[in-house]
Amino acid sequence: MSDQTTTERARPEPIKAVPVRHPGRWVTIAVLAVLAAMFVHLLATNDNFRWSFIFSSYEEGKRGVMFTGPVLEGLRGTLLLTVTSMAIGISLGVVLAVMRLSPNRILSSVAFVYTWFFRAVPRLILAILFGNLNILWSRVGFGLPFDKQIGDLFGIDNFNGQFYSIRAADLLAGFVAGMLALGLSEAAYMAEIVRAGLQSVDEGQTEAAVALGMSRFQVLRRIVLPQAMRVIVPPTGNETIAMVKDTSLVAYVPVAGELWFQLNAVSARTFVVFPVLVAAVIWYLIICTVLMIGQFFLERHYGKGYGAAARARQRLRDIEVEQGGRVIDTGEGR
Amino acid sequence: MTGTTEMVRADNVHKSFGSLEVLKGIDLVVRSGEVCCVLGPSGSGKSTFLRCVNHLEKINAGRIFVDGDLMGYRERGGKLHELGEKDVAKQRRSIGMVFQRFNLFPHMTVLQNVMEAPCRVKKEAKADVRDRAVAMLERVGLGEKTGSYPGQLSGGQQQRVAIARALAMRPKLMLFDEPTSALDPELVGEVLDVMKDLARDGMTMVVVTHEIGFAREVGDNLIFMDGGVVVEQGAPREVIANPQHERTRAFLSKVL
Repeated sequence: MSDQTTTERARPEPIKAVPVRHPGRWVTIAVLAVLAAMFVHLLATNDNFRWSFIFSSYEEGKRGVMFTGPVLEGLRGTLLLTVTSMAIGISLGVVLAVMRLSPNRILSSVAFVYTWFFRAVPRLILAILFGNLNILWSRVGFGLPFDKQIGDLFGIDNFNGQFYSIRAADLLAGFVAGMLALGLSEAAYMAEIVRAGLQSVDEGQTEAAVALGMSRFQVLRRIVLPQAMRVIVPPTGNETIAMVKDTSLVAYVPVAGELWFQLNAVSARTFVVFPVLVAAVIWYLIICTVLMIGQFFLERHYGKGYGAAARARQRLRDIEVEQGGRVIDTGEGR
Repeated sequence: MTGTTEMVRADNVHKSFGSLEVLKGIDLVVRSGEVCCVLGPSGSGKSTFLRCVNHLEKINAGRIFVDGDLMGYRERGGKLHELGEKDVAKQRRSIGMVFQRFNLFPHMTVLQNVMEAPCRVKKEAKADVRDRAVAMLERVGLGEKTGSYPGQLSGGQQQRVAIARALAMRPKLMLFDEPTSALDPELVGEVLDVMKDLARDGMTMVVVTHEIGFAREVGDNLIFMDGGVVVEQGAPREVIANPQHERTRAFLSKVL
């Protein structure tokens, strides 16, 4: 039919119009260009940055502050702390999210109270608190709970039901305290993110999987979580990037094997403040840039098969509208 | 073609959602090899009943047996015990279900969709499952699409994959919940063709549908439900040509 119309009528000339001008944009660009030039000029000419202090040598016979041994050790500690606390945060967060969505009231309220507590307490205070927890106990370990009380009950003096224990001051100080504080606090945020992700997956997916005879764990692991990932990954990436920065808080636990602690130590010893801060900025920029690139690829991986699915869903909705909404009424009205 | 064993038996099944009673005493028998079509207006409880058969919904009263097994419960010493998750899953393995909205797993390819349950649930050898899955997909006319994602397929193709996915578990009973209601009119035929093919092979099927033509041509038994009860049942041709009940007549006059 369209062939006919083209043969009958000649094609009109393509439109050649003068495009709309945007003078405001050009003014903005000019202002930004001037500001950028001023900034570059500042970096290049102001001696107080002391670039050689940062990059080449901060003292006789030493490398630049960014690359000295202790600072690099601190960098390693920061990365390790980020990875371990995020690992705690994500795994505990998944557990909490599943608990929160449990039909069992007790499980879901426990998850709620956990989230409430750890979201309400500032991370800095939490970190210092965990660094001081060894005030409460002399030893921590695994074993029978309430062993002392049980011993008293049966008249046994010094009854010890601990299988394994170590001095609290050794365990709950420094790195472990910082890791626990950050990880447990992160779990509260991750729980909310994972919960939103799980709830975003269409209920029909669970039904189809259950109807095939899959167990609840299999449904979660194979069907729901992979689809929830599309919703979970972007905010988790942001959380990880935020975590890199929050590791600097554990310098006050105190944790010595950490980037900001080590840079701070240099500035305390040399009385040079500003270049040390700039060095910190550069290191955190580098780490976060790498993470952002990783996040891009992760998001692309979990978006697999979705561009087309969104189109299909749109088509399905169109059909429903064509059928006078009958599909909605029997499928989703339940 | 139809055997004598009862594949599905529903005795006085009741189901409520809160204070709303959706099923008010359903009695039904589907013999093995039979195709039972369930018709009825929206909200008559037909989909809910189908979901009760494989225990996706818990019934409030009555009994449902599939191939002689009481669904969802164990009766011991006159007392009912709820079955654990594992036992319910085991019962569901032999019951295939096809949904109105397909519910394919969008993050898996067509082949992975079909292979998932046999591999994970039945723990069958991957190579065997793959061969069978490809054969199933060829049977529903989608041998070319094994590597596609569901989102790249038309509705009719997705529904045929969903049927292949259910068949891959070698079910003894197939439940269809309005399998063609979400499809473009020109795609309905391809799905019905697959279902007819299945019926010819002697699969026991319970089909909730609005396709009167399908019910007449393929059905061995037709159930008409309204308001949570079975209003009328019998041979499809007779019920459709000569409905005995006023409500059946009213419904059929609207759809035919």
